[in-house]
This record gives sequence, structure tokens and C-alpha cells, in this order.
Amino acid sequence: MTSEAEHRLLHPAPGSAIEAAQKFGIDLTLLVERLRMTPEERLRALQQAMRVFAQIRGAARVTPERTHD
Amino acid sequence: MIDLETLIPRLVNDGVEFVIIGGVAATAHGSAYITEDLDICYARNAPNLERVVASLAPFHPRLRGAPEGLPFLWDAKTLQQGLNFTLRTDLGDVDLLGEVAGLGAFEQVRAAAVRATLFGVECAVLSLDGLIITKRTAGRRKDMLILPELEALREAQRKPD
Repeated sequence: MTSEAEHRLLHPAPGSAIEAAQKFGIDLTLLVERLRMTPEERLRALQQAMRVFAQIRGAARVTPERTHD
Repeated sequence: MIDLETLIPRLVNDGVEFVIIGGVAATAHGSAYITEDLDICYARNAPNLERVVASLAPFHPRLRGAPEGLPFLWDAKTLQQGLNFTLRTDLGDVDLLGEVAGLGAFEQVRAAAVRATLFGVECAVLSLDGLIITKRTAGRRKDMLILPELEALREAQRKPD
């Protein structure tokens, strides 16, 4: 990523699409991190996130709800 | 979960004409959005339909969400008779789209794509501009949620005038 792109994301110009995204709730630091990666690294990170979600879903299915006496 | 590392090189090496669209394309451009399937727009010429069929056949494509026992024959004729297919495969969920809202058929989608190297192969990925058009056109709630992020990414990477 160019330092220019990083600067734009970390210091959104008033009225810009980046500022609108920030106000919408987008975490711009995540985008900075993603843009520092290559496209392939981004997809590998996505795969890793999918694995984590799959594990969480699996754990949620096999763990019985705790009951209170 | 989709096995992108196996699937993308497989399709490229089998000569399938396709463009990666949707959430995986958004991720390739820097989106932090999490998707669980691979959406591709595919060319609908007869040789390519045969290539799509041959490439995915070892991974047992079947219709996602279809009633149990519904017959589904994975061949070029089936692809020819349909347009968009939501598939479950042994490598994960794959959506095949013959047309993309806001862009059109494969030729238009390819014209709106950029080249990227992914998992050792070069392939076509829908551009940020193209993704923004498709999301705006689709206009569903889930599409509108990702739009601000895509527009921010486009603005961040815009070349100076």
C-alpha cells in the first residue's frame, strides 16, 4: 500500500467517502492492515477467519447449554 | 468453509474462463468483510461449460438447499439450461453466475475485472469499481452494508489527478 493511501485512511478528509465509512462504523485500521498485505495474503487471512468461525460454530453445537440449579 | 487455495488454481489450471466476484473479490481488494463462499461469473460458451463441469466434478457439486433426493445431473447440458447455480461442493460453497446485476454477462464482467496473482496463478478479479456497481444495483441490505467500505477502499487507492 502506498503511504498516500494509508494517510488517507488514517486521516479521512472531511466529506470524503473514507470519512463516511468511518461514520458508518467501518474500522479503518482494519483496512490499513489489509492493504499492507498482498491480495493472496488477504485471501489467506479470510480462510483463517473462516476456520475460526467454523470451529466456533462446531463448539457451539456440541457444548450443551449450562443450566442453573 | 471454502477451500480457495485448492479451488482457484484448479479452475485456472483447467482453463475455465471465469471472474471472481462477490465477497472473495472484495477481500482481494482489501475488504475486511467475511464471506463463506466463492462467487464466480463464468463464460457460457460450450467449451467453457464443459471445462467448468470437468473442473468441479471431482468435488461432487450438488444444489445447495435443494430437497434431499432431488435429482441433479452435473453436466454441461444442465449448465446450458440454467444460468445461475448455488452449489455445495466438497471444497465448499460455490456460486456460478452467468450474469451479474449491473454489469451483464461474462464479457462485460471480464471487461470490468483486473488481474491478480492468487495461490500461484493469475486470475481475473472484479475491480473495485465493478464491485461497487454490482452492490449498488443489487441493493439488498447485505450489499448496502459493504458499500461504504468498498467506496473507502477505492478512494484510498485513487491515483492523484
